[in-house]
Amino acid sequence: MNVVLYALLAYGAMAMISFGVVGVIVLINRIFTAPEKGEDHHE
Amino acid sequence: MSELLMQLFPGIGTFLLASPAVSAARIVLIALGFLLAYLGFKRTLEPLIMVPMGIAMIAVNAGVLFLNTGAIGNMFVDPLVSDAEALMDVMQVNFLQPVYNLTFSNGLIACLVFMGIGARSEISYLLAKPWSSMLIAIFAELGTFVTLIVGVSLFGLSPQASAAVATIGGADGPMVLFTSLMLAPELFVPISIIAYLYLSLTYGGYPFLIKALVPKKYRGIDMYVDVPEVSQRSKFTFIVVSCLVLCLLLPVAAPLIFSFFIGMAVKEAEIGKYTELLEESLSYFATFFLGVLLGALCEASTILNPTVLVILLLGILALAVSAVGGLLGGWLMYLLYKRKGEEFNPVTGIAGVSCVPTTAKLAQHAAMDENPFAMILPVAMGANISGVITSAIAAGIFVSTIHLVG
Repeated sequence: MNVVLYALLAYGAMAMISFGVVGVIVLINRIFTAPEKGEDHHE
Repeated sequence: MSELLMQLFPGIGTFLLASPAVSAARIVLIALGFLLAYLGFKRTLEPLIMVPMGIAMIAVNAGVLFLNTGAIGNMFVDPLVSDAEALMDVMQVNFLQPVYNLTFSNGLIACLVFMGIGARSEISYLLAKPWSSMLIAIFAELGTFVTLIVGVSLFGLSPQASAAVATIGGADGPMVLFTSLMLAPELFVPISIIAYLYLSLTYGGYPFLIKALVPKKYRGIDMYVDVPEVSQRSKFTFIVVSCLVLCLLLPVAAPLIFSFFIGMAVKEAEIGKYTELLEESLSYFATFFLGVLLGALCEASTILNPTVLVILLLGILALAVSAVGGLLGGWLMYLLYKRKGEEFNPVTGIAGVSCVPTTAKLAQHAAMDENPFAMILPVAMGANISGVITSAIAAGIFVSTIHLVG
């Protein structure tokens, strides 16, 4: 594969996986935030 | 008589017997060692790496002697020994050889440093503006991919070597160590040395780039930042799930991903003794030996390798383009937020370059220089942590797929 094409595809893949990780963070935060509002420490 | 003097003072004798190029390189490296140690002492460069590195450079290039085999060498470390029997022999002689073979050449030292970074990272900052932080970090990886293309197309490096050098653009020392060990072990020494040297220089160089690319009136923009209160259960779950997902997607980078997330997990689980161990003892142990070994690996042969010049050029290109990319990301966020009627300081973009926490602090300093009330650090730290994640992903992609480049 040509290096320019590879770099573009790899950049795209990195961006998609990175946004996927942010999606996981936001989703988990939403799931846990509602019942735990105001809570600071372990139950 | 002269032979007796050479035996008495082999450090000086080897200067006379070696080729003029090697002797000159030794003198240059001794002088460079003095300079690095002094700049570390003065806090111009990162003292944690530069002081041990500089002194080790001086010692290894001064303490050259005639070995039993008749060759000229030192009693610090021989990175080229690979035969198991020879390695056992060398380990009895070279005092840094066990540290090199058991922690350096397998990437353990990079993982230890990463555990410390994980234990110091605060995931809440990422939640302040999660999508913006990650977008900036993606822009700040521009240097990595541009350098990969330039290294292969213009300098004729192999895709593996070019990818290893390109990871300097992620500005993440452990990641550069890990990737160069996996992809270009023959260039591991010069790439690591140059990467750490440049990473120390970002503190001095990036403020000029910020001033060049962000006009004064924009640098002082204050941002409304609402760092959400996130429960520890939420943070811990995110850490475990992210570790699982990333290890599943990028198994070759799993040791590094695990190291980062185990540091974060230990902190969020409030296991105080482990946090202290990772954040203080192990992290500083690893950083100290990293500095010592990088210095001890700076022999004359290192700078006489013609590829070093190429790595020097590509390394600075990677870091400069990544900084420009990060600031472009900052400008894009500024424009997007402006459309919503909100403020975003474009200087935050520099923090996407994941030199934790240096670039986040640089962004805050640049903003405060223009407006003492500007507080952009929480968002900058979010971009910084996102940068660590994007660097790990980029390194994982390179290690898994670079063989596809023909």
